[in-house]
Amino acid sequence: MSISTLVSIKGAPASSRHRRGAPDHEPAGSRRSHARIRSHALRAVPVWLRHALFIAALIGVWELAASQGLLDPAFFGRPSGIAAYLWKGFVTDGTLWRGYTLAGAVIAFVGGSVCAVATGLLFMVFPGFHRASEPYLTLLNAMPRIALAPLFLLWFGLGIGSKVAVGFSLTFFIVLSATVAGIRSVNSDHLVLPKALGATPRQVFTKVTLPSAVPVIFSGFRLGLIFALLGVVGAELIAAEHGLGQTLAYLQSTFSMDGVMGLLFLLAFLGLGITSLMNRLERALLDWQ
Amino acid sequence: MDAACAIEVRDLSVRFGGGAAASVLAVDNASFTIVPGEFVSLVGPSGCGKTTILNLLTGLLAETPEGEARVLGKAPRPGNPDIAYMLARDSLMPWRTALGNAVYGLEVRNVAKAERKARARALLARVGLGTFSDKYPKALSHGMRQRCALARTFVLDSPVFLMDEPFGALDAQTKLQLEDVLMDLWSADRKTVVFVTHDLAEAVALSDRVIVMSARPGRILADVPIDLPRPRSIRALQNDPRFHTLYGRLWGLLEQGMAGHVH
Ligand SMILES: Nc1ncnc2c1ncn2[C@@H]1O[C@H](COP(=O)(O)OP(=O)(O)O)[C@@H](O)[C@H]1O
Ligand SMILES: [Mg+2]
Repeated sequence: MSISTLVSIKGAPASSRHRRGAPDHEPAGSRRSHARIRSHALRAVPVWLRHALFIAALIGVWELAASQGLLDPAFFGRPSGIAAYLWKGFVTDGTLWRGYTLAGAVIAFVGGSVCAVATGLLFMVFPGFHRASEPYLTLLNAMPRIALAPLFLLWFGLGIGSKVAVGFSLTFFIVLSATVAGIRSVNSDHLVLPKALGATPRQVFTKVTLPSAVPVIFSGFRLGLIFALLGVVGAELIAAEHGLGQTLAYLQSTFSMDGVMGLLFLLAFLGLGITSLMNRLERALLDWQ
Repeated sequence: MDAACAIEVRDLSVRFGGGAAASVLAVDNASFTIVPGEFVSLVGPSGCGKTTILNLLTGLLAETPEGEARVLGKAPRPGNPDIAYMLARDSLMPWRTALGNAVYGLEVRNVAKAERKARARALLARVGLGTFSDKYPKALSHGMRQRCALARTFVLDSPVFLMDEPFGALDAQTKLQLEDVLMDLWSADRKTVVFVTHDLAEAVALSDRVIVMSARPGRILADVPIDLPRPRSIRALQNDPRFHTLYGRLWGLLEQGMAGHVH
């Protein structure tokens, strides 16, 4: 029994030519069988372990480079310092648990989404209103919304109100265009049968239009939530009393790169958590897809 | 008009695009009647107005036709409970399970929940989908989706069934199976059926009569009674000389109707 046969038995699905005990016709030591051994050996390591090893290596190299002076911690921080910052924020003094940013993002997302879906439905019922307001909406949507932050700060103050306003303005347009697209995406074949059956407009809406629009609207929600977070953090960076963005701006101005890096990782994981939550929700609600 | 007719079409012409020069005459002076319990196929080349006639009978046509049409003595209108329409494409709703799709028509017709579920389950069992009632269309094969569409149509239990090339997109084997399923469903209580197809073998195998239409503008060329005994086995018919004689005759008529048209 050659090495490649052994490995293929241990590894994931053995190809039909490599059934247990089948004679190996590849000449031992050929380039192809070497490549196969390598790929089989890699496949035996679970994916999460491969990622864990990669990240551990990356952190090790970073820490080493920082301690050897190859990577200036004043600009890049260092893993041990970042860990210490996060430990302090989450365990020792708990300041990172306060959740102003998350609360702002959730409020902006819920408010923006509810208003957007309502507006989308209004557009469906009154197409004339839709046509009339389209150019203005396009103009507003084209504007980089974060540029409105100074205005919102003036109107709604330094607190959470101005942050919610920026997040809202981003979420609203994303979910609105998803709602409009979703309603338009109805398969016309699905509308003939209800018509033949004499379904009322209400029945057509609840039983055909809405269910076919939901997946598109949902992808709008997914994006909208990420942008709500972006809007809130962005506004906090500009001026705020609390929040991750405000802390980030403060740490940056005091050159605490460990803290800045720690917060960046925290924000990345927050976004990741939100996305996977939405994915899970989508799979549970839209399992017909 | 004759009240004993399930369907009566007299001097019917349908023109799309108004009276303008570019308008299309889809149906040209067609007349036919169908008595209750008859299974009649409408065959003809693509574009000859078959779907247009079914849409007209269902009340889905936006154009005002010339001539007259009656379904059980009444003028066509959408939502007519006397009609169950099966569309050309399966058009199952992907967000509904097989059962959900099968109950849909009864839902629109406001049948009580328990009753519509029981009726839909019974129909799904009859088309061979009993164990698949909780599956979404994405998990069903093409043939199974068409079985589900049959269940969704027959569950309505309307006196008149209009079917527009329901098996047009199926492979030959699946088609034969579904034709048998359809014969089973129909034989149980012999409702009136208008069955549109461009497959002559299918038309002969299923029908009591076959109406042959010409290429556009659709005129009625012939009305051929199919005197094959019932019950019929679609498979056994394939070896029956009478089946092939009728098929040959219809083919000749259809050729005649295409003569002069370049395809
Ligand atoms: N809504 C419509 N507007 C304009 N022309 C139409 C419309 N519906 C059908 N037609 C035309 O009428 C003719 C008959 O169509 P149809 O009834 O769908 O044919 P079949 O079902 O026999 O293939 C075709 O030439 C088609 O292009
Ligand atoms: Mg057609």
